[in-house]
Amino acid sequence: MELVLQQCVNALQWGSFYALIALGYTLVYGVLRLINFAHGDIFMVGAYLAFFISTALLAPDGMFAFPRELVLALTIPLTMIFTSLVGVTLERVAYRPLMRKGAHRLYVVITALMCGLILENGNLALLGASRKTLPVLLDKSVYDLWGIAVTNLKLWVILAAVLVFLALHFIVVKTRIGMAMRAVSWDKFALPLMGIPLDSVIVFTFILGSGVAGLGGLLFAMSYPVLEPYMGAMTGWKAFIAAVVGGIGDIRGAFAGGFLLAFVEVMVAAFLPSTFRDLFAFSILLLILWQRPTGIFGKPLTSKI
Amino acid sequence: MPLLEITGLTQRFGGLQALSNFSCCLEERELAGLIGPNGAGKTTVFNIVSGFYKPTEGSIVFNGKRINGLKPHQVTAMGMARTFQNIRLWNTMTVLDNIRLARYAWLNYGFLSAVLRTGRYRRAEKAIETKAREVLEIMELTEYAEEFPKNLPYGLQRRVEMARALAGNPRLLLLDEPAAGLNSADVEGLIRHIRWIYDEFKISIWMIEHQMKVVMSLCRRLAVIDFGCTIAEGTPEEIRRDPDVIRAYLGDGAL
Amino acid sequence: MQRYAINIFFLVAAVTLVGLAQAGMLDKYVLTVITFMGINCIFAVSLNLVNGYMGEFSCGHGGFMCVGAYAGSLLSVAFFTNSKLFGAALFAPELAPFLFPLVLIGAGLAAALFGLIVALPSFHTRDDYLAIITIAANYIIISIVENIDAIGGPRGFSGMKKVVGLMTDVANVPWMLIWTIIGLFACVMIIYRLMTSTYGKGISAVCQNEVAAEIMGINTNRVKIMAFMVSSGLAGLSGALYAHVYGYVNAQAFNILKSTEGLVMVYLGGMGSISGVLLAAVAFTLLIEVLRFVIPWLNDVLHATGLLAVNYELGQVWKWVIIPLVLILLMQFRPEGFLGNRELTHVFPRLRRWITFR
Repeated sequence: MELVLQQCVNALQWGSFYALIALGYTLVYGVLRLINFAHGDIFMVGAYLAFFISTALLAPDGMFAFPRELVLALTIPLTMIFTSLVGVTLERVAYRPLMRKGAHRLYVVITALMCGLILENGNLALLGASRKTLPVLLDKSVYDLWGIAVTNLKLWVILAAVLVFLALHFIVVKTRIGMAMRAVSWDKFALPLMGIPLDSVIVFTFILGSGVAGLGGLLFAMSYPVLEPYMGAMTGWKAFIAAVVGGIGDIRGAFAGGFLLAFVEVMVAAFLPSTFRDLFAFSILLLILWQRPTGIFGKPLTSKI
Repeated sequence: MPLLEITGLTQRFGGLQALSNFSCCLEERELAGLIGPNGAGKTTVFNIVSGFYKPTEGSIVFNGKRINGLKPHQVTAMGMARTFQNIRLWNTMTVLDNIRLARYAWLNYGFLSAVLRTGRYRRAEKAIETKAREVLEIMELTEYAEEFPKNLPYGLQRRVEMARALAGNPRLLLLDEPAAGLNSADVEGLIRHIRWIYDEFKISIWMIEHQMKVVMSLCRRLAVIDFGCTIAEGTPEEIRRDPDVIRAYLGDGAL
Repeated sequence: MQRYAINIFFLVAAVTLVGLAQAGMLDKYVLTVITFMGINCIFAVSLNLVNGYMGEFSCGHGGFMCVGAYAGSLLSVAFFTNSKLFGAALFAPELAPFLFPLVLIGAGLAAALFGLIVALPSFHTRDDYLAIITIAANYIIISIVENIDAIGGPRGFSGMKKVVGLMTDVANVPWMLIWTIIGLFACVMIIYRLMTSTYGKGISAVCQNEVAAEIMGINTNRVKIMAFMVSSGLAGLSGALYAHVYGYVNAQAFNILKSTEGLVMVYLGGMGSISGVLLAAVAFTLLIEVLRFVIPWLNDVLHATGLLAVNYELGQVWKWVIIPLVLILLMQFRPEGFLGNRELTHVFPRLRRWITFR
């Protein structure tokens, strides 16, 4: 029983990572109907940016040499800002011109895939194969909750995911710009007629999605400090699958899908040989999609005749 | 025995009752109309009859066989064809190919024959080609055989769609608002054309139409539905005078 | 004469190629590159059936190649060699060159069977949901293979070199080149003939307007099953060839990256254009190989001119930065691929005297 509970905590932590990435997929998809396949790599970029920022701020003989608490407090917003810059740059440089030309949607998707490859391999080429290790930003303390060991970091990760979810939900449902985002997903052509500039809505979406992924990268790097360029690829694919199982285009779906995937994975790995993890996780997700072709929160597809 | 017999058809989409207890009968060689205000459930009737929706309740008997629950392609193979309110042609295929594909349900060769180009394949393709050309000829579309439908004017696209429906040798043709989007000159042509098709192909036609001119001059019998219920049935003359119909179209104050 | 021009051209080209290889005028490296070009062509053209003609977004095509590679390898090892796994050879080794087509067909059938995995969910769903199902299918297939220890699991599987050796013992010709050429020809022929028949045009009909297709009497579910099975079966064929050329297979060689390569070739060539996709596959394979030489050269030049820091070497990793970059640029300039959905004959009408694509 305790093993199960312990695994539940792990699943919650992993679920938070998946959810943070899946939220970005879902936001962009909801607005542009574009699968931003580079998103997993933006997560990776976030982790690396966190590494550079925190190392620079911490360096004892550097120009800052801040105390650790301050560094953490600064690293979080800086990572999010710089990561969103990367996301917005991709949109401006690669996706937007293509969409302007009225290219088939799938060409944009392929471009996104290529951007992801560039980020991964460019990173490898520039920084070399030596792995980076994030400095310790937070002292580890272990709490004992009903016999389960929980580190403070895990709690922070889960808390962050929940807060981000609530914040995004608020933005999308309650604010004006959120309303505009939902409007774009309904009708891209009517929006400019209503006096809302389409491009700024899109840019805002990318800022939100990439910023959240950057936060995810930072938290991931704090939990698993060894960074490597391909860390975003597999996690990204899985988060995308989670977003779709949840019902892509719906924020609740990304959140639910992320945690669902993590639970399946962690539980399979806990009770079966770990090589079966992917097999079972994907098979279960496939079955869910089979039963609910548009995901847990997705609206059923209707076609008017 | 009627060609198409619909009894007690009810369709619910979630909480919405799109159609309630709709009954209708269509004899062989009849040209009938189905009219009603927007959103009355006319297209729903067609969608159910052509197999696209499964009705919640009720039965549809076509040509002596119960067809509810059948897939659209099975219904088509039994001799029913339809056109759409918004034209649905295959735009990257030539007009000829569009017509050819209407014979798909009667293909008698499979993947291996197609790849190996067997004698059976060649005979079948030849027959399809002949049939398609014949339909094009009858519908006066031969000169557009190699055109792509999207490059044709709207009226011609309608005609291509009708030709495609006729290529399947249907016994019953369902026309969903054939006059939608046509100007008055085109409408005149359309009326003549439908009547001519009706005489030439010796088929039954059931149409949904908004333009009174079309239904009044073509149909011998009309059914009127509103909010999913049949409110009147009869000849165009009777319908024209029916107080329920006038109320449905013009509101209570009109009387 | 004109009717057969393209076939004759293909035959002459193939015979010349095999002749050159036989005469030893192509070195081993060039030969391998040409063979892989052919395999990539098969892979891309087969993916084009689903992603181009049918307009679905299948991103897990590598999985079917994986099934084909393993099925083909297992069959040929069981047929022609004594192995621990299958015991004594089923057939005399002299039969290897004659029965090898059976191996290829078997691999194709096995992969086609797995194509059903993707075809069945495609009844209810399209677009991005199907994309995810195919990605998941790719992962599942790789994961299954890696969990079967008898066929090597994550270590991979080998023994096909021996079979190729047996064929060479019978007649000393470049067998794998020949089989690849035959496979490519068969693949192009199958897709071309399919897509020019009324039966196959059902696929385009489903792509453009599924509702109209269904109502006009096309059994859309059957069309989808057929398209997915043919497509994955041909991918299986390419996998079997790949396994025999390499002499070794590993499931990770067919992961999402392989599927991405397929997508790139299809969308670069133009969806639904056989000639476009063939061009793209050739160009893509060439690009990869050319960069192998260009990068060291570039490295030297940059170092000589002092543009690059002394302690930094431009490595082969840059290949996978440059290739996506080139592709992104190409897509910016030709957002519909090399040929769009047209064939070469539409772009150069003069070719129509010799070939008809319709």
